[in-house]
Amino acid sequence: MVGSDTNKLKPRPIVRLGILLISHCFFVSVVCLTAGVLALLLLPVLAKNTYISENALMPGSSNNMLSSQDVSEANKLVKDLTSLELRSRDSGIESQRLIAQYMSDLGAEVTYHKFYPQLHQFHPLQFFSGPDSGIIGKNNSCSSLGVNTVGIIRAPRGDGKEAIVLVTPYNPTKTGMGEALSLGIAYSVFSLLSRVTWLAKDIIWLVADSQYGEYSAVADWLREYYNPVFGNVNTGDTCKERNILYEPGQKPYADRKLYEGFKRAGTMAAALVIKVTTESDYFEDSLNIYAEASNGQMPNLDLINIVNYLAVHKQGLRVRVKKMLSLLNSSWLNTLGVIFEYLGQIARSLNPQWKFGIPATEYVEGIATLASSLYYQGLGVPTGPHGAFREYQIDAITLEISPKVSLTKMARHNEFLLRGGRLIEGVIRSVNNLLEKFHQSFFLYLLTSPSKFVSVGVYMISFALLVAPLPIVAASLHSNANNSDYNFTKEKSSSRATSGSKDDVKHRSWNWLNSAKKVLIFHLWGAVVSLLPYFVCQMPNFTPTTSFLVWALLSGFSLLILYLILGSQFSETAAFQPRDKEWTSLKSVTISASFIGLCLMSVINFATAEIGALLIVPMCLIARPLKLDIEAKSRRTFAKAACNLILGFVGFPPVTYVLFKGAFEGFHGINIGEFWNWVESLWAWNSATYLFIGMVHLPCWALCIHILFHPC
Amino acid sequence: MGFPIYGFLKFPMEVLVLLLVCLSNISSCVAYSSASSSFDTTMHTNNWAVLVCTSRFWFNYRHMANTLSLYRTVKRLGIPDERIILMLADDMACNARNKYPAQVFNNENHKLNLYGDNVEVDYRGYEVTVENFLRVLTGRHETAVPRSKRLLSDEGSHILLYMTGHGGDEFLKFQDSEELQSHDLADAVKQMKEKRRFKELLIMVDTCQAATLFSQLHSPGVLAIGSSMKGENSYSHHLDLDVGVSVVDRFTFYTLAFFERLNMYDNASLSSLFNSYDPNKLMSTAYYRMDLYQRRLEEVPVTNFFGSVMETIHTESGYRSKPSKMPLGQSVRDSDRRVLRNSHNEDGISNQITEEYLQGSGRYIWNAILGNADTVENVDAFVCYGLLLMLPLLLLSTWLSR
Repeated sequence: MVGSDTNKLKPRPIVRLGILLISHCFFVSVVCLTAGVLALLLLPVLAKNTYISENALMPGSSNNMLSSQDVSEANKLVKDLTSLELRSRDSGIESQRLIAQYMSDLGAEVTYHKFYPQLHQFHPLQFFSGPDSGIIGKNNSCSSLGVNTVGIIRAPRGDGKEAIVLVTPYNPTKTGMGEALSLGIAYSVFSLLSRVTWLAKDIIWLVADSQYGEYSAVADWLREYYNPVFGNVNTGDTCKERNILYEPGQKPYADRKLYEGFKRAGTMAAALVIKVTTESDYFEDSLNIYAEASNGQMPNLDLINIVNYLAVHKQGLRVRVKKMLSLLNSSWLNTLGVIFEYLGQIARSLNPQWKFGIPATEYVEGIATLASSLYYQGLGVPTGPHGAFREYQIDAITLEISPKVSLTKMARHNEFLLRGGRLIEGVIRSVNNLLEKFHQSFFLYLLTSPSKFVSVGVYMISFALLVAPLPIVAASLHSNANNSDYNFTKEKSSSRATSGSKDDVKHRSWNWLNSAKKVLIFHLWGAVVSLLPYFVCQMPNFTPTTSFLVWALLSGFSLLILYLILGSQFSETAAFQPRDKEWTSLKSVTISASFIGLCLMSVINFATAEIGALLIVPMCLIARPLKLDIEAKSRRTFAKAACNLILGFVGFPPVTYVLFKGAFEGFHGINIGEFWNWVESLWAWNSATYLFIGMVHLPCWALCIHILFHPC
Repeated sequence: MGFPIYGFLKFPMEVLVLLLVCLSNISSCVAYSSASSSFDTTMHTNNWAVLVCTSRFWFNYRHMANTLSLYRTVKRLGIPDERIILMLADDMACNARNKYPAQVFNNENHKLNLYGDNVEVDYRGYEVTVENFLRVLTGRHETAVPRSKRLLSDEGSHILLYMTGHGGDEFLKFQDSEELQSHDLADAVKQMKEKRRFKELLIMVDTCQAATLFSQLHSPGVLAIGSSMKGENSYSHHLDLDVGVSVVDRFTFYTLAFFERLNMYDNASLSSLFNSYDPNKLMSTAYYRMDLYQRRLEEVPVTNFFGSVMETIHTESGYRSKPSKMPLGQSVRDSDRRVLRNSHNEDGISNQITEEYLQGSGRYIWNAILGNADTVENVDAFVCYGLLLMLPLLLLSTWLSR
């Protein structure tokens, strides 16, 4: 044999390496999958401490200037608001006027921004593009008019090209103590900033009318700010202009700076959404940071860093980011943490410079935070009004401050306002120092705690390891199918001794095209399924459960139709191919398609791709006709079949959803309608995850099920 | 000690060049030799300072404060504004982030506003580039550049070159966009030396790894001091919590602390300045490069560079034996006049060179006489005799020319 291939050229090393990998594809895929999952579990250990990357920021380099004078003024506003609430039920307009009065007393430019909140609807044609400003207000009645109050302080010596935005969501018809306090915090900072000499950026305070949702109020204002509509602006005319804000016969505000029309400052450098929650079960004042915007986009890490730094080191607040609380008590994670801790200790005893062990409790916390970080990024739904800013490439976060005791005690108010106000002041002063957009630090990261992060370079590894077996296994299956075809035809041709066997071989080597066609049909079906909710939504008076059932029925029906239209050709072409080999080439193409789908998704939303890979990759790799396993009748093949069935069951999106929800929140009171609601929220927020589920995950799952029940 | 003799000899001789054609060769020979030897032995006649802040942006406030503090110090110690080239890469005083508009402080006590009434910034903002910096040093300007923006130093100048900014291994960053390399600096200094633009040069640099900037220097008469060694950082001294930025660097802070104790009549030596740097306080090791410098640091007062105090030599005979033809203003050591005189000198040299070809023989005789002149102890007497000797020669020449 060695002598015979002397006339052959020796293939290049990379080709030989590829052949080696393909020939050992089972071993390679097992190793890669294990390593991928392990790398994911190791992320909290590999997380780095956050640091302020941008030199210009200099957080905490200056003394707080917020005085108790500002705070007592702010407290007066809070009292006025709450008393207004008590006095009259219909105080919506009154309270907004009150806020505007307070603002203009500080010398700020005050305007009202009227908007018609739009309902989220599924528009398949405008999936990624935001709603056009032209179509807003079509289906809105005049009753649902929202009014944002906007105050602008101009930087005394600034160039007026940049601005920092403070947002306080506020529901004028139902003011809670928390909302009033968040207004108080913003007011205290605003009143300070109206006096200081060091502003280089304008300050915009947006009191967003949250009657119809916080997000839409902010999004509407932003749209108006960045995409002004010229020409026929006649929203007022259509509604006969219930001029709520300038009632006739009442001119107490005549001398103040109230402006008609829309006021603008420069481009926004950063935005802070301030919220106060009244319920708190913690023993100290704490601060929750929400950062996820749509499709897993995150603000620059530096913004989170400065907030975290100032809150922890200057104001002594406890900073938290979201965690999967149910993971905290899981014993297997704890065990894993103990193992990692132990390994870390061993490593340190070998070489004191290796410091990768972290305490087990910290590890579990890290995993819980990481899981929630992955989930909320993967979901692709913004976690607060800050998400609206990301659409315009503005870095924004929501700061939710919660006091340790109930807010009814007045004595605590001042202290709480002072603390919150000083935090905001510090952040604004730091952002004010900024010379360019936030760009220095990371945009692609996962948080494992408020002060620890995993950057893109590290978390990519686990995904790469997870998807690495896919092309290898696909290639291996393809070459196997071809080889066996070749042997098969050789046997046939030798027995029959027919001529034209060469044509036959050529024909067979293109057999995978049939499988590709089939895969394509399944993916087409996936696209149809993702479009169906648009029609289901049109039906009035459907409960989520019925909607879901209708959707499922329609999906099955469409699959049937597609099969009848396009699948009839299969039976003819399939005659050329031995049936037992058809599934191999089908599996090979399925795997290739899912590989492409996952890689594309990892570019759009990494977290979705990561979670999707965890579900799809094992299912795709292990898929194999049940018939073969059952015929073999050994314990090993039965185990394989069971595995297949379980993975196939778990991989079905609604089942996955229910299982996950059950695992994290308990199974009681779960019904299938919730899945409908969940999916509805995905398309309403234009999440790419919805497309991924519909056009990659579902067809992949269906193909795997098809392979499982393949009649070979 | 030789210089005053030649200074005296030179001008009468030049007058004679015009008057006595037949003896011109001899007299100009003296002028030539005096010019050639003046290169090493020129007296310290004036002081210049080039103060450079190379970094912009608000968070580099301290670099501007460093430079302005040094500007104030050298002005206080006597260098006039027209001999200070001040280069500031950004305008912190009018930055919108400055809590105290139009004021710059180098201390958190805010007692001293560095940006007061009398600050003349020669190069500001984006004018501060490597190109402009090298042009200032080497004196190769566009014709339109005003005199106030030029370094009009001469062979008798002591120059203080102070630079601060962000540096690294063998470079100093300018304006966040370009770099001055140690080669560039060494090359510029070498050109200055060749063009006789300084007698002594003190380079003081406050950046990270400042010592590396001096590694390529090899022109004599250069003394260099940097705030940190290779691999070390230079740190800021303190943060002003009111302004919100660091306001001064450690090296500059302790330099200023040293000078605050001095006035222009103090005789503190350079070595006392150099020894005042405490590595523990600086958090870096100050580095001096002295191998190119001839004088002993103990004997050099700091005011030689940081002030404008010059050595004066008392000559007993003063103006006594001068012919009345000598212009009075020539003795005034003013830079402008000095430049004029220099050019006059050079003209004399060129005259001499052309004539040297015609009449080279007499030169040797006069060289011999000069050799004697060097050895004669009573120089004044020698000059008197020489002048008396000229009278008959003058008579002779007038008689001959008639």
